[in-house]
Amino acid sequence: MANPTARSFLQVAATEEVASPLRVVQIEGLAILKIIKHCKEFSPALVTGQLLGLDVGSVLEVTNCFPFPIREEDEENEAEGANYQLDMMKCLREVNVDNNTVGWYQSTLLGSFQTVELIETFMNYQENIRRCVCIIYDPSRSTQGVLALKALKLSDSFMDLYRNNNFTGEKLREKNLSWVDIFEEIPIKVSNSALISAFMTDLEGDAPVTQCDYDRLQLSTNPFMERNMDFLIECMDDLSMEQQKFQFYYRSLSRQQAQQQAWLQKRRAENASRKAAGEEPLPEEDPSNPVFKPVPEPSRLDSFLITNQIANYCNQINGVAGQNFSKLYLMKALHEN
Amino acid sequence: MASRFWTSQGGSDSEEEESDYDEEIENGAPVDPATQAAGSRYLKENPSDSDDSGDQKRVVRSAKDKRFEEMSATVDQMKNAMKINDWVSLQESFDKMNKQLEKVMRLTESEKAPNLYIKALVMLEDFLSQALANKDAKKKMSSSNAKALNSMKQKLKKNNKQYEDLISRYREKPESEEERDEDEDEDEETDSEIEEDPTKIEFKDSEDEDDEKGGDSQDEDDGEWEKKMSKREKLMDKQFKNPSEVTWDTVNKKFKEVVAARGRRGTGRFEQVEQLAFLTKVAKTPAQKIEILFSVVSAQFDVNPGLNGHMPINVWKKCVQNMFVILDILIQYPNIVVDDMVESDENETQKGPDYNGTIQVWGNLVAFVERLDAEFFKSLQCIDPHTREYVERLRDEPLFSVLAQNVQDYLERVSDFKAAAKVALKRIELIYYKPQEVYDAMRKLAEQTGDRDNGEAGEEHKVVEESRGPSPFIVTPELVPRKPTFPENSRTLMDCLVSLIYKYGDERTKARAMLCDIYHHAILDEFSTSRDLLLMSHLQDSIQHMDISTQILFNRAMAQLGLCAFRVGLITEGHGCLSELYSGGRVKELLAQGVSQSRYHEKTPEQERIERRRQMPYHMHINLELLEAVHLICAMLLEVPNIAANTHDPKRKVISKTFRRLLEMSERQTFTGPPENVRDHIMAATRALSKGDFEKAFDVITSLDAWKLFRNRDNVLEMLKAKIKEEALRTYLFTYSSSYDALSLDQLIKMFDLSDAQIHSIVSKMMISEELYASWDQPTQCIVFHDVEHTRLQALAFQLTEKLSVLAESNERATEARIGGGGLDLPPRRRDNQDYNAVGGRWQESFSFTQGRQGGGSGRTGYGAGGGRPLALGQAAGGGYSRDRTGQSRGTGAGYPGTRYQDAAYGGGSGRSAYQSGSSVRGSQMDISNRMVSLNRGFRS
Repeated sequence: MANPTARSFLQVAATEEVASPLRVVQIEGLAILKIIKHCKEFSPALVTGQLLGLDVGSVLEVTNCFPFPIREEDEENEAEGANYQLDMMKCLREVNVDNNTVGWYQSTLLGSFQTVELIETFMNYQENIRRCVCIIYDPSRSTQGVLALKALKLSDSFMDLYRNNNFTGEKLREKNLSWVDIFEEIPIKVSNSALISAFMTDLEGDAPVTQCDYDRLQLSTNPFMERNMDFLIECMDDLSMEQQKFQFYYRSLSRQQAQQQAWLQKRRAENASRKAAGEEPLPEEDPSNPVFKPVPEPSRLDSFLITNQIANYCNQINGVAGQNFSKLYLMKALHEN
Repeated sequence: MASRFWTSQGGSDSEEEESDYDEEIENGAPVDPATQAAGSRYLKENPSDSDDSGDQKRVVRSAKDKRFEEMSATVDQMKNAMKINDWVSLQESFDKMNKQLEKVMRLTESEKAPNLYIKALVMLEDFLSQALANKDAKKKMSSSNAKALNSMKQKLKKNNKQYEDLISRYREKPESEEERDEDEDEDEETDSEIEEDPTKIEFKDSEDEDDEKGGDSQDEDDGEWEKKMSKREKLMDKQFKNPSEVTWDTVNKKFKEVVAARGRRGTGRFEQVEQLAFLTKVAKTPAQKIEILFSVVSAQFDVNPGLNGHMPINVWKKCVQNMFVILDILIQYPNIVVDDMVESDENETQKGPDYNGTIQVWGNLVAFVERLDAEFFKSLQCIDPHTREYVERLRDEPLFSVLAQNVQDYLERVSDFKAAAKVALKRIELIYYKPQEVYDAMRKLAEQTGDRDNGEAGEEHKVVEESRGPSPFIVTPELVPRKPTFPENSRTLMDCLVSLIYKYGDERTKARAMLCDIYHHAILDEFSTSRDLLLMSHLQDSIQHMDISTQILFNRAMAQLGLCAFRVGLITEGHGCLSELYSGGRVKELLAQGVSQSRYHEKTPEQERIERRRQMPYHMHINLELLEAVHLICAMLLEVPNIAANTHDPKRKVISKTFRRLLEMSERQTFTGPPENVRDHIMAATRALSKGDFEKAFDVITSLDAWKLFRNRDNVLEMLKAKIKEEALRTYLFTYSSSYDALSLDQLIKMFDLSDAQIHSIVSKMMISEELYASWDQPTQCIVFHDVEHTRLQALAFQLTEKLSVLAESNERATEARIGGGGLDLPPRRRDNQDYNAVGGRWQESFSFTQGRQGGGSGRTGYGAGGGRPLALGQAAGGGYSRDRTGQSRGTGAGYPGTRYQDAAYGGGSGRSAYQSGSSVRGSQMDISNRMVSLNRGFRS
């Protein structure tokens, strides 16, 4: 952090020509702490905030952040929120902090973040900032002794599709896009200036174990599992709904096809008789006929998101269960000793 | 006034006497011995002194008779005058007759003119119109004669006005009048005897109309003949005045004419029947007779115009007789072929009885039989079932069944098996609902009435024939039996009819026959047979697409099946059959045993009328009270332990929603009085049972009236008592197991009055199915309870598995649709509805609720929902049965994988996913009865 601006400018100049893919998100310790503080204070309510920083080649540096006030469900507040954001940026520029928006952060509850809103917000950001990330912090998981921090971005192919709003089965197949390919997770690297590192080392006591490590040993995981189960069940319901929608679509499609066939057959018979009578055959397509109006295919986006969500929960359960088992075995061993 | 009458009477008396002699002198002809009383009197009088005759008369005859005699003599005189076209003397006689009438009226003290008089008037009128029509003859008349004719015309017109209605009535039905005449006075016999002597007319040589020399008797007969005709139809008399002139052509022409008049304005329906019936008598060839008879039958069907009313019963009976005659002819002349497909040749019926080739006649026997059946059915619908009339009407059933039997025999003989199957179905529909006792009674009745009727009906038949005038040209002996023959056992009859239908019937006939068969088996307590029939036929899948009356039949069969299952002690099956009927609260409608009023939407009168037309006649009803009792008891026996087992989560596993709703309602009551109706009884029993008090529960249930409707009442109640004890034990254990650490077997034996083996098996079953967390302590004969509760996490995991199984299943179906799996011939929508109904019922209260609402919505169109429900029922029941069967065949523990496989096979032909099998393993750990319940709900089959 000694002279980040100079380096970053150089890098920016270099990468302007070849847009190298984003590889790492590098976050300042300060920013992380601010995020954690904000999210934890308001938990279990969900909060968001702005990320500020620099885009340097394949590395996105997040150097600072500020929280958004909790939004109330009002249209006036929308404007207020935007104003707040601008004011905040102005103030930060005045104190000479990085005021380049690179994304936003938000808190989540047990990883239930894969929603349409997230994607919409992301697309909004994406319009203005070519490279942006979303950092997601899960305070509830962090109580388990893990730093549940994630940096996400949408995959390019997905964004293409989303812009065209084209989530039919055919397009998805064309792009070879499955539910796994919606989000890309980017590794996070925490960087601190040398001064801070030194200070921290100085602060650190002699004890080799931290509070975080104690948390990790906590045995009661039931509430966490239960919550996850609840969410999973909800997801299942949602998925069934989606499936139903799709089935309905499929049925109406097949019905329509049958109708079309019937119509075509009739028309052909008519044409044959007309031909016999020496008249002009009627066209075999009739766009005005309601039979040929295409049935709108339901978007697969929702089901993709739900699937993502389910995968997320499953991973969490897996992780927690695995940890729990090892903890239990440890306990057993301790008891035997 | 009186004095004048008296004098005039005296005057006319002498006058009359005089004229009598005049007549005799005038006639001077030998009197035919066949002419009766009056004639013979004259015969006797002829040689004797004229003075004597007067004395003799006074001595022998009563005053009334005398007057009638006088009158009839005048009438005879008039007839003679008519023959010679002598209007002068006719006028005189007419005046005289009117005077005589006054006397007669005073004597008989009746307001009504005697029939003799009316008859004469009619005759005169006809003759007059005839004379007027004949312009040439009129011109030729002498001046005095013509004058008399004119004055006669006026007089008659004036006179007839007074008796207008009598005349018209007489014209309408001369027969009945005649019959009464016969009773009224012997003089009348003159007419009727002549009529009864038609052979004479037939074999008489043709003679000129106005030939008087042919002899008195000839004239008399001719006159009678003419009169007869004129009574019937003015138009007709001319053509058929002389029997020998009747040819095929004239009959055919007349026939065409009458048929063409059908349906026109002003054509009396009864009249047409009469005309046609007359034509059958003069038909020249058997084929023609058949043709006309067909028209008679259809005209008889026309007699009743509306759709709502039924055909008059006497017409119906006549119609059946006509059908018999048709069959007689058909059997007598096997070369006559009845067909409604071929437009037969115009002159086909001209071919006489000795014609060798086939004669095609247009007609459809089956349609007639079906129509007759429909009319019979309708009449039973209309007649108040609590009257004697209804019973009388029911007695006609054997008559119809013998007709159907004959038609069927005939059709089989001409190897028209398709039609025979249809008729066989009609016969089945007459007997399928009769238990053996009723069947026996019917058989006995048929035999008795058959014996009596055979004589009686035969006579009646003859009388009918005779009273219609001359006997027919085509005389048909009675070839077909008029007496029904029923086999000893109703089952035998059903079997033979049903097998015929299965062989030759079309889809609908087969389906209906199958349903009747199922119903009948169920009545005979053969549950497994009828269940297998139902499942093998897959009727529950396709019943949706059948017509409404078949759907009703299906519902009836299901109801009967449910009752049967209950009688043989299969509670779960019984409940499966009945619950769907009761789910909509429209049992009456579904069984067509009454119109239920809906609060939510008014029916249009049109709908209501249609619905009324579908109603079952009273004697075919399934007792609703009994049905409800059985349904609720089944539900109670299943639900009470179920509720006790799931106290924490009562919404989770609902077996009978109807029952739950009733229970809620009764629990909400602040004060429960002594039970009044069926529901109250069951609710009282439920309350007792949920406390484990089986004795009280049983007492309350036994006090129901409906039990007397069961044949083997004691056995059923015995069975019921055993079931109640078992369920009471289960309920007790569910409810109070948490209060015990251990419970001894002896204690339970004492409490529930069950043998230790029974208790042992029940408790063990509960343990195995993990309903009861306990174990046996063999040495002390105790049940030791474990305290096991599901953690929330476990509960959630269960819930999740269930969700997953739904998801997996619907996924599977999607693939199935993609690759074209087995069950696609059903419309997809319905399948899905069904699936969700069955699967969703377990945990998604709201979901199945919307399903129910949907059903209600489609119910607006009439029976749409009515059909929908039974389908669901069928499927649920079907699933239950299939599983039950596998359970039986495989034993409890041995074949879990096999059972599961079977389930999958029933489920639609494709395998289950891992999730599915997981839960089915769970399910299969339960014992058979419980497996049925849980799987019923857990899987869609």
